Amino acid sequence: MTTRITIDPITRLEGHGRIDIFLNDQGKVENACFQIPELRGFEQFCVGRMAEEMPVITNRICGVCPEAHHLAATKALDGVFGAEPTPVARKLRELLYMAFFVTDHTTHFYALGGPDFIVGPDAPPSERNILGVARKVGLDVAGEVIACRKRNHEIITFLGGKSIHPVAGIPGGWSRPITEEERAQIEDAARRNIEFARFSLTVFDNIVLKNPAYLEMITSDTYLHRTYSMGTVDANNQSNFYDGLIRVLDPEGNEFAKYHPSEYLEHIAERVEPWTYLKYPYLKKVGWQGLTDGVGSGIYTATPLSRLNVSEGMATPLANAEYQRMYEAFGCKKLTEARYQPIHHRMATHWARLIELLYAAEHMLELALDPEITSPETRNIPDPALFVGEGVGSVEAPRGTLTHHYSTDARGVLTRVNMIVGTTNNYAPISMSIRRAAEKLITGNAPEESILNRIEMAFRLYDPCFSCATHFLPGKMPLTVALRDSSGELLREMRRKG
Amino acid sequence: MTAGVVIIGMGNPLLSDDGVGIAVARAVAERLRHLDDLALLELHTGGIRLMEAMAGYGRAVVVDAMLSGAPAGTVKRFDAMDFVTTKNTFSSHDTDFATAYDLGRMAGVPLPEQVSFWGIEALEFDLFGERFSDEVAAALPDAVNRIAGEIVNGRAA
Repeated sequence: MTTRITIDPITRLEGHGRIDIFLNDQGKVENACFQIPELRGFEQFCVGRMAEEMPVITNRICGVCPEAHHLAATKALDGVFGAEPTPVARKLRELLYMAFFVTDHTTHFYALGGPDFIVGPDAPPSERNILGVARKVGLDVAGEVIACRKRNHEIITFLGGKSIHPVAGIPGGWSRPITEEERAQIEDAARRNIEFARFSLTVFDNIVLKNPAYLEMITSDTYLHRTYSMGTVDANNQSNFYDGLIRVLDPEGNEFAKYHPSEYLEHIAERVEPWTYLKYPYLKKVGWQGLTDGVGSGIYTATPLSRLNVSEGMATPLANAEYQRMYEAFGCKKLTEARYQPIHHRMATHWARLIELLYAAEHMLELALDPEITSPETRNIPDPALFVGEGVGSVEAPRGTLTHHYSTDARGVLTRVNMIVGTTNNYAPISMSIRRAAEKLITGNAPEESILNRIEMAFRLYDPCFSCATHFLPGKMPLTVALRDSSGELLREMRRKG
Repeated sequence: MTAGVVIIGMGNPLLSDDGVGIAVARAVAERLRHLDDLALLELHTGGIRLMEAMAGYGRAVVVDAMLSGAPAGTVKRFDAMDFVTTKNTFSSHDTDFATAYDLGRMAGVPLPEQVSFWGIEALEFDLFGERFSDEVAAALPDAVNRIAGEIVNGRAA
């Protein structure tokens, strides 16, 4: 007999996501998964349209990371039309992306991930939010977060041509150059971003790392999963959010694969399990062994932590110093001149996210100071003779590697669309982390509230995005765990108000 | 700071009924185009974004799809006091609107004193498409009338 525990919905993530926990005959946790509503009909919606519509269609898939979809789509179009972007076009795309990463990682830390650490995992849910963070860190931080978002949104708006849903990406380039005045504004914002990122790392240091209880939470084995790590790297094997090759390391830190994003189908397969409709991506050449970790299991992770794991240090100096500090704090040995043994403690993902925030801010400044950045040469007009009719575009979304794959007919009309979105990569590791937290729900004596939050924390560290999901009225986003037997009869229910 | 009114349509116009908030907001703005202190904004996601979008206005009217279990096409007005959420007024990536509003206040963002929310019950919300279900399409004129009335009269019609 299988028993099912359902948690529905998940606070601080939108409501329709639901956690199911399956018990075996001995009453032990066997499997865990989260169910999210799938949007239907996307491929049918796209097929028959002109491929060049995709950057403005796909950026509406998700209200949280339209910039990531816009760039992945634009890069896929570079491939479809056989049009290499000009050097400045690449830099403008990357510049927009760095501004986006700064706002996205900042918001995650202060609004989603941070509250668990800064306010505390056992604080009442009503206080465990961004307001609680501000009360703890200082009310000024509320203004700093808002100011950070504002200055970067302004830049995204003029770089991308439109607020929220960028439109500037075109095959072979970018639709507009920037002026010297705009460049100066970007430079100023980037400098402020660097200061804010450093401040955020100091907050993390003082409030989290110097608190033995929180440090224990990060370094304990509760959320330890020794999976493969994935991330995009540049020619120096350093993490790059916009472009490069996909590098995969095994759990020990050996390079397992490095491939061009267009070869993703050779490396990634999807597994369907009978107890959930989720499809779990895994490394094809390792194979699927179920929700288990280790070198023999093809489960991989694509998060800020995995990106740092695969990177030979960080490409910017301040971020690199923080990178070294994190790996040394975990006692990792150096495997190469710049890279350490991978960290598998999932709570360190929050730390890695802040290091990426600093990198994005520093790289934004580098780009703003690039003498070429105001060049008007923002586009290569596609040459019909070079038309390909198929393209794969890939970027690192804040929450994992994002891949768009389009095929068209000879007129450029879409015939096939495939995507792997960032969060999808992490379905298996997320399920493993939830299962680990749920084991304590079944076997431990901790208060319900604390266990429920630890299950949510397992989710949050991956920064999953299901912005398509739905909320229900009335109600205050309660968290409900229902323990049911296989016939659906309720054995136990726990509920808390949002 | 302008003292004007902002109408904010929320949702995804490519996701069937999810786009109803945007369609209604556009229609209201079109009907009231003679008002020079009325601004129209469109947003896909809420939370902090929604709070930021209404900064600087004296009044904000937010229109969104909702999934409350009411019959499809039901139009409902919420006061800020009893408002929890409609489909898109929270953000999966940060917080719900109420927390975002308090955050804005804490940060000194000039936020409208008066914020009202309108929900239109959706039927088809997870299917890509640019058409509304019949029930939602039929509810549009009433929603536009009531919201335009509220903006003109300063209170719910």
